[in-house]
Amino acid sequence: MTMTGYQNRVLRIDLTNRKYSAEPLNMEFAEKYVGSKGLAIRYMYEELKPGIDALGPENKLFLTTGPLSGTPAPCSGKLSVAAKSPATGTMNDCSIGGHAGIRIKYAGYDMIIFEGALERPGYVLIDDDRVEFHDASDLWGRGSHETEGILAKQYGIEYTVLSIGPAGENLSPMSCINSDYYRQAGRGGIGAVMGSKKMKAILIRGTKGVRVPEIKKTTERMIELLQTDVLQEDNTYIYDCGTTAFLEACNDGGILPYKNFQDTTDPEWTEYNGDILLKYRKGKRGCGSCGLGCGNFLQIGEAVCEGPEYETISVAGPNAGVKDPFKIVKFNQVADDMGLDTISAGDTIIWAMEMTEKGIHDFGIRFGDADKMREYLILMARREGIGAELADGVRKASEKFGGTDFAMQVKGLEYPQYEPRGSWGMSLSYAVSDRGACHMRAYAPNVEVFEAAAPPYTAEGKGQIVYDLAEFNAIKFSLCICDLWGTIDYEIMAELLTMVTGRNWTVEEMSEVGRRVINIARAYNQREGFNRKDDTMPRRLAKDALTRGPAAGQTIPEEAFNDMLDQYYKIMGWDENGIMPQELIDTL
Amino acid sequence: MKITITLRGSLRKYLEGENERIVEVPEGCTCDEALRSIGIDYKEIKNFGFVAVNNMRVMIYAELKEGDVLKAYPRIYGG
Repeated sequence: MTMTGYQNRVLRIDLTNRKYSAEPLNMEFAEKYVGSKGLAIRYMYEELKPGIDALGPENKLFLTTGPLSGTPAPCSGKLSVAAKSPATGTMNDCSIGGHAGIRIKYAGYDMIIFEGALERPGYVLIDDDRVEFHDASDLWGRGSHETEGILAKQYGIEYTVLSIGPAGENLSPMSCINSDYYRQAGRGGIGAVMGSKKMKAILIRGTKGVRVPEIKKTTERMIELLQTDVLQEDNTYIYDCGTTAFLEACNDGGILPYKNFQDTTDPEWTEYNGDILLKYRKGKRGCGSCGLGCGNFLQIGEAVCEGPEYETISVAGPNAGVKDPFKIVKFNQVADDMGLDTISAGDTIIWAMEMTEKGIHDFGIRFGDADKMREYLILMARREGIGAELADGVRKASEKFGGTDFAMQVKGLEYPQYEPRGSWGMSLSYAVSDRGACHMRAYAPNVEVFEAAAPPYTAEGKGQIVYDLAEFNAIKFSLCICDLWGTIDYEIMAELLTMVTGRNWTVEEMSEVGRRVINIARAYNQREGFNRKDDTMPRRLAKDALTRGPAAGQTIPEEAFNDMLDQYYKIMGWDENGIMPQELIDTL
Repeated sequence: MKITITLRGSLRKYLEGENERIVEVPEGCTCDEALRSIGIDYKEIKNFGFVAVNNMRVMIYAELKEGDVLKAYPRIYGG
C-alpha cells in the first residue's frame, strides 16, 4: 500500500564505475520494518551475500532514514548507518545524530546505498538529484575535524558532511564516521567500511520536502507532544546535564567499571563528575528536529569537545585510572578527530594497561597514564609503533598476547561501560545484542539497577526483561527516534507513524515490528555462522569477584549466564543453540 | 533517629527545590517509609528510579540507621 512520509526513492551509488541511479523503495520491506534500523537490516539481508569480506567491494554502506525523518516529530534527527561489520562479521547498524538524516530525506531519498569502491581517495557530493564524485587526495590523511572544516568552507553550511579520520582510512575495526564534528556512527568499524571504499567524505544537501496527509494537524500534534511529553523533567535532565547524569547513578548503582572492569565504583568520582565538567560548558547543541538538546560543548584550556558522553567519561576516567577532567575531555577530542570509537579504542588501551601491570606483555602503558592514552589513540589510528599491535581491537590483541579472560568483548566488539556483575541482565544483553557487545539494544540497568525493588544479582526473569527492552528499542530505532526521548511509549510511536504515513498503525504492530527487527538481525548473523557459541561472557565476570560498591562479592556463575541465555532463546522461539528455525526465517 | 534525604533530578520538587534535608524518622525505618514521610510514595510516582544509602544502591525496603544519607533518583533513560 502507499504510505506518505516516505520519498519512495532509494539512491544507489556505484563507486567503482562512478555511476548512480534512483529506484523505488521496497514498500513491502517498509511495511514490515518501517524504516531506519529495521529497514536497513532487511536490505542488508537481501543484498549482502553470506561470507563476503566486510572490507571488500561487495560490502555496501546503507544510509537509511525513516518516515518521520524530516518532519517536526521530536527527537527524529537520527540516521541509521549500516553495513557488514569489519570488527565482528555480524550485521552492524549505527545511529548517528546531527543533520544527515534530514538532509538525505530533503534530497528526496529514503535511503542511499554505496556499492563497490573508488579507485582513488575521493568524496561524494549529493545535491538533490545530482551526484558528483570528487578527488580527496589532499584530504586523505587529515583528521575528521580538519576535513569537515575544509569542506564546510568550500561548500557552505547547507551541506551536511559525513567523514572519516585516519582510523577509517587505515581500516581500523574501531573506526567511526563523524558528522557535525562531534556526532558519530561509532561502532563496529563502520568507518573502515567507508575507508575500504576510499570514500573520505559524503556531502548531502536537500531542498525538497516530506509529504504527510494533514500537515497542519500533524505539525500541531507534534508540537503538542514536544511540549507535553518530551519536555517533562524525566527527559529534560538530559538538557541540563547531558549523559554526565549517568555517572553518579552508575557509581551508586555499582555498575561504574574501574581499571578495566577489575572492580566497580570510584571513590574519587567527584573529581570528574557532571558538576565539575559542566562548569566548563560553553554552549549547547541538539540534532535536527530534536527538542531536547543533549549536546554540551566543553572547553578546558585547549581541550574542546561536544560531550564527553558517559561512555567516554567512564572509559577514559575510572576505567583507565584517570581523574583529571581536562585529560578526559582531551581524550574525547583526539578520538573524535582520529575517527576512533572511544568505547572500543578505550577498552583496548585499558586492557593493554592491565597486561603491562600484570607483567603478561609490556605495552608500555599503565593505569593513570592519560597522556600516553592519547598518544596511543593516534598510533592506533595510524597503525604505527605500538598502535599497530592494538589497532585491531582487544579480541585480536588478546588472541596474540594472552589476557583473554579480561579482554572485555563479545564477538569482537568491546564492552560498553556498564559492569554486568552489578546488573546481571546486562551480561545477557551484551551477549545476544545483534552486533556484539552493545548497550543500546537492551539497556538492562534501567530495569535492574535504576529501579526501586528489582533484584540485580540473579538470573531469574532476566530473559524477559532483556527481550522487552530489546523489542522496544528495535521499533524505536526503526522510527529513528532518539534514545533520549525516554518517556515515549508504544502508543505515541503508533500515533506518530499513523499521522505521517496515513496508514493506521497499532500498538500491537509496533511490538510485532520490534520483534521482527530483532529476528532479521539474528537471521543475518545466523547465515554468517553465528550461534550460541558466540553469545558469550568474558571469563572475568565468572571468575573475579567485585570488592567494592553494592555489588561487592558478585560474580556471574556460568550456570546463571547459561540460564539467562536459555530463557532468551525460548522467548524468541530459537532452539537451545540459539538457532532460528527455517519457518520463522520464512516469515521475515 | 536523624537521617539525611537527598533527592536527584525531578524528585527535588518534593523538597520544594532543595537538594537535601535532615529528617527525624523512627528507629528501624525503611527507605520507603522515610521517603513517605516527606510525601514520596515511590509506587505512585511513574518515573521513580532507585535509592542509595551512603552512595550504595539498596532495595527500597532496606532499613536505615542513624546518620545514613538516603539518596533517591528518578528514572534515567538511555545509555
